[in-house]
Amino acid sequence: MPTAEITFLEAIRQALQRLLRERSEVVLYGQDIGSFGGAFKVTAGLQKEFGAARVFDTPISESAILGSAIGMATQGLRPVVEMQFADFMMTAVHQLLNNASTLHYRTGIAAPMTVRAPCGGGFGGGPFHSEELETFFCHMPGIKVVYPAFPADARALLYSAVMDPNPVVYLENKYLYRHVKEWLPNDWMPTPLGVARVCRPGTDAVVLTYGAMVHEALRAAEQLAAEDVGEVMVLDLRTLKPLDTDAIVAAVAATNRVLIVHEGWHTSGFGAELAAVVAERAFHLLDAPVGRLTAPDCPIPFAPELEKAYRPDAEKIHKALVELLEY
Amino acid sequence: MNRKADISKDAALAMLRCMLLARRIEERMVRLYHQGQIFGGVYTGIGQEAIGTATTSAAGPDDLFAPCIRDMTVHVGRGTTALTIFRQFLGRVTGPTRGRDGNVHYGEIERGVFSMISHLGAMLPVVTGGVMARRRLGRDTIGFAYIGDGGTSTGDFHEAINFAAVLDVPVIFVVENNQFAYSTPTSYQFRCKNLVERAAGYGIEGFTADGNDAWALRELVSKLAAKMRQQPRPVLLVCETLRMRGHGEHDDASYIPRELLAAWAKRDPIALLRERITQAQFATATELAALEQAVQTEVDESYQQALNDPLPDAATLTEGVYADG
Repeated sequence: MPTAEITFLEAIRQALQRLLRERSEVVLYGQDIGSFGGAFKVTAGLQKEFGAARVFDTPISESAILGSAIGMATQGLRPVVEMQFADFMMTAVHQLLNNASTLHYRTGIAAPMTVRAPCGGGFGGGPFHSEELETFFCHMPGIKVVYPAFPADARALLYSAVMDPNPVVYLENKYLYRHVKEWLPNDWMPTPLGVARVCRPGTDAVVLTYGAMVHEALRAAEQLAAEDVGEVMVLDLRTLKPLDTDAIVAAVAATNRVLIVHEGWHTSGFGAELAAVVAERAFHLLDAPVGRLTAPDCPIPFAPELEKAYRPDAEKIHKALVELLEY
Repeated sequence: MNRKADISKDAALAMLRCMLLARRIEERMVRLYHQGQIFGGVYTGIGQEAIGTATTSAAGPDDLFAPCIRDMTVHVGRGTTALTIFRQFLGRVTGPTRGRDGNVHYGEIERGVFSMISHLGAMLPVVTGGVMARRRLGRDTIGFAYIGDGGTSTGDFHEAINFAAVLDVPVIFVVENNQFAYSTPTSYQFRCKNLVERAAGYGIEGFTADGNDAWALRELVSKLAAKMRQQPRPVLLVCETLRMRGHGEHDDASYIPRELLAAWAKRDPIALLRERITQAQFATATELAALEQAVQTEVDESYQQALNDPLPDAATLTEGVYADG
């Protein structure tokens, strides 16, 4: 089977390209995504291939973008909109919360729309280009939240997100765009939403995580194995809502120790939900208190020295796992 | 102007029926509210019925609508029945939101009407997107987006109109200037002389109209709609009117000057249209009385029928949050 080495970014582009080819009801729009190809070039070449009626630019109006996508989705199209940065989505979050998340419950009308939002830090973006906001979206009823960590998943899950009959927030960690590559087959199948994946087996502890932190956790786990300290499982959640709680319970059963890692803020972060799931469903399986390694409750700093201190990484995960294994 | 040439007898009488039906339903809601027989608030469009009536009367079958709080005549004008409306206000499982949402938050999308949410301005981008989708799929759709004078201060009002202007989406943004946003007069809402001035800032055409004169408004909107189907562009249409009651029935509207209410009461939209119909000799006094009686009977029967409908089952609380698939 022919394969190619592709970046995370290219994987997203391929999914969008395939959706545009296969589904005439798919349209893409957002800021600078047309001939310019987007701030990160995710949509490069798509307007040229599919025309300005299906891939087009809009004014800087996040609420109009999200609101119009809701209307479109109820009338036979399948819009995929790009928020240039997830940070900017918060100017329009009421469209998601009040309109999109309640629509089917109130009216029985489906809104198959996908909101792509580049998020996360690690590259000096500062407080307004690095936000990690998944927990806000997960808190809304009626919304699904997808957060891939690998090119294969980015491609296969985006296809499923767009084909889902519900509003989906699809988070793209910007750090992964060009840092992560995989050799992948040119032919591929969509992956269902709501299924976590063990991306490293282990018996001594499990890291529950997603997005860029999956890769940091894998590095920490490899180091611990090389040091003969322990074998740590890494569970990549892939979809945060609906959450694969069965996979979490199975991972706790196999390891008895849990470290939760995410790049977002600590208080009421998504890790709090994960810890609650473990407490509710797997308390009897624990040999140690659940650990949470997150960003601190402070705005995202700009200077590299500060951002390094702010953001969880393999080194910090390694330290936290050593403590967890010693408990 | 020879008005008979523009509006047929059928259309004129349908407009009168639309306004009467909405008025009688809302009067019943008001009574039920004050009797403590209705759950939640009651917000009416009494005095503003001409706007929804005339715009829906001038619209085409494939058009889309995002009515606001005081637009029961948009629903009635699109064919929603008194029975459906009572089911909604009484929280019946047979209603359009099945008890999951209440009072003015409903719309039958099969009639081209979106369900509004409470956040003013929020529906303007939604109907804009709906029009974009339908036109892309080959339908001759234009949109009607309704907002009050207070709602023009929201970010979504600006975003939606600018978005529609830039992308050439044919939506009539209908501003119902009823002079008060809850208790706030327009002097605390905007500083332009007339909201229609804003059209220039978006590079679109703007029009003002008497919001209480259904006949004249229908003529204007028919022309606008025909032009927009040829040249898809949004327009701003500012309709002057007055809210004749409080924001909701919990509000006695003591802040509205009595002289102002008295002046607008003389320009009641139903009375104005009845005069026009009589002048045009479209109906006799007897025929108009029969129409009034038929409307009252429909309201009475619909209310009784809705009362007998089942309430939602608590066991279904979390059903339907997501669409299946």
